[in-house]
Amino acid sequence: MKTVAAIAPILALAAVLAAAPAFAADLTVSFPSVAPQGQIMVAVFNSEANYDGEGPPAQVAMLDAAGGQTSVTFDGLPDGDYAVRAFHDLNGDGKMNTNPFGMPTERFAFSNNAVGNMGPASWERAKFAAAGAVVQSIDLK
Amino acid sequence: MTPSRRSFLMGAAALSAAVATPEMVRAAAALDAVAATKADWALATQDIEGDMPRQTMRLIHGRAPAGLQGALYRNGPAKFRRPGGSATHWFDGDGMMRAFRIQDGQATLEARFADTPKRRTETELGAVLTPGFGTRGDARARIGSNDDANAANTAVMVAGDQVWALWEAGSPLAMSASDLSTEGFVTLRDDLKGMPFQAHPRYAPEGSIWNVGLAGNRAVIWHLNPDRSLNDAQVVSLPRASYMHDFTATDRHVILVLQPWVFETHAMPVISGLAWRPEMGTQVLVLDKDDLSKRRLYDLPGFFHFHLGDAWAERDGTIRFDVAASGDPRFAVDGARVLVDGHGVVPGDPAKLALITLRPDGRADMTYSDVVGEFPKADPRRAGLKRSLTAHTSGETLGRPLPTGLAVHDWDSGRSNAFEFGVHQVVEEAVFVPKPGATAERDAWLVGPSVNLKDGRAELHVFDVARIEDGPVATWQADTALPAGFHGVWAG
Repeated sequence: MKTVAAIAPILALAAVLAAAPAFAADLTVSFPSVAPQGQIMVAVFNSEANYDGEGPPAQVAMLDAAGGQTSVTFDGLPDGDYAVRAFHDLNGDGKMNTNPFGMPTERFAFSNNAVGNMGPASWERAKFAAAGAVVQSIDLK
Repeated sequence: MTPSRRSFLMGAAALSAAVATPEMVRAAAALDAVAATKADWALATQDIEGDMPRQTMRLIHGRAPAGLQGALYRNGPAKFRRPGGSATHWFDGDGMMRAFRIQDGQATLEARFADTPKRRTETELGAVLTPGFGTRGDARARIGSNDDANAANTAVMVAGDQVWALWEAGSPLAMSASDLSTEGFVTLRDDLKGMPFQAHPRYAPEGSIWNVGLAGNRAVIWHLNPDRSLNDAQVVSLPRASYMHDFTATDRHVILVLQPWVFETHAMPVISGLAWRPEMGTQVLVLDKDDLSKRRLYDLPGFFHFHLGDAWAERDGTIRFDVAASGDPRFAVDGARVLVDGHGVVPGDPAKLALITLRPDGRADMTYSDVVGEFPKADPRRAGLKRSLTAHTSGETLGRPLPTGLAVHDWDSGRSNAFEFGVHQVVEEAVFVPKPGATAERDAWLVGPSVNLKDGRAELHVFDVARIEDGPVATWQADTALPAGFHGVWAG
């Protein structure tokens, strides 16, 4: 779960993100069943290494779930493979909260609604090809 | 295809690279034939394919005692094998909640699977692939959190109009007490979501509930109000990372028995990370319920156990409790595999009852009885208080697994009374049910089921604690069998 928790510091580094090239895929990430509370932190990765915590996400977003925002579109991503990590920051503290034994207490999910095996979903399970308009509908669990 | 046949063929293929010859096929068939020779007790670990609707049980012996009204909820694994892969350990089957309801002299039985993420995934993929206590699992497992591996198969507690299916390493799973439908995992407080809540909650005299959950050498100590809401949860550090299935409590103390079966590596399944180090001895950690930072540590010679009896403290500060103890964890490692195989010899000696005494001067001792016993249960009116009696299953012998009788041991007199059904019955844990309005310890019934191997049916028995050796005062029989379960609770 460490890499899930790592979304928060990565979000803090979001300022380093370069502007995306203005062509190719438009990725919409939606959370249709999310409760109207707090915010949803979304990070989009374009490589396995970065997805696994070795580098920054290609795109990030913070959705105002309390205000009813349940989807975000990332325009103009270069065609390629992507994977998404997201969690529901219920209390708005910007962190993925954990219980005293280190397990997440806020809902989280990965693209493809992939589930891991004793940890975050692998790149292999979460990756998807993006070209043109792509929608990822994710249930936070 | 059985693993033995598969490995035989794979081994043969690797050696010869040849296509299977008729000789190889015949040899493999012979191995299959051995595997198909199930033991006479194999019904006790059979698979159940679906929920069992409520049925009326038939009274086949005696008469329902006047005043006995309520429900015995019991939990236990009931699905081990799937075409694409199977559980290899007794503790890793899907939990199935049973409700034996006794009303107006009639008994009914229904059973329903705990509808867990584990069961849903494995049903969808047609394979048991989730790692567990002794089952390795495989790469197809979907485990985003510990409750994705929760088999909800070990025990049960009543919570209002729910029953909570308990496991060892995850949250309670709430099920409806009236129809056993699954309602969802219980989070006692948002910041404690997913914290382990073990399978042996202890009931305090005033009705509150204590429980533990373990992570290595740390434990969460749960304290629930009588209405099952959270009173408090504190994390304490432990002197070692032991495997612990049970703990016990007096009215004033929480008692953790740290056996020398210790986690040395992080590995799955759980048993592969544990090492048996009897030379380390067993430590007993006593925490003060009013201030968990007040602790005392006692040392005993090393022994293995799953189950403890309720503890009590005497005026001078002496603490006593009983344990079903054995020499080593071979049953937990190998015996429980034999049970799922449905044939073979269970290694190790059956557990015997022993009494542990923790003295005010810091000394501790352990006195073994010569009584073979497991699944100890005691009078709920005396939980955490001085008592004399331990009810328990009995009749296990070297080489043949599973109990065949019930017994009551009196720690004051040293006397044991038992009733032996014979090897055609697998006898399960029986709970202590006080007679209405009565206060004496022997004024109670024992209520528990068995698997009648001869008839292929589940039975429910009621014994009088004062005359257990006379056999059941009432026995009802269902029209089918269920596998043997683990632990139950009475809701009067």
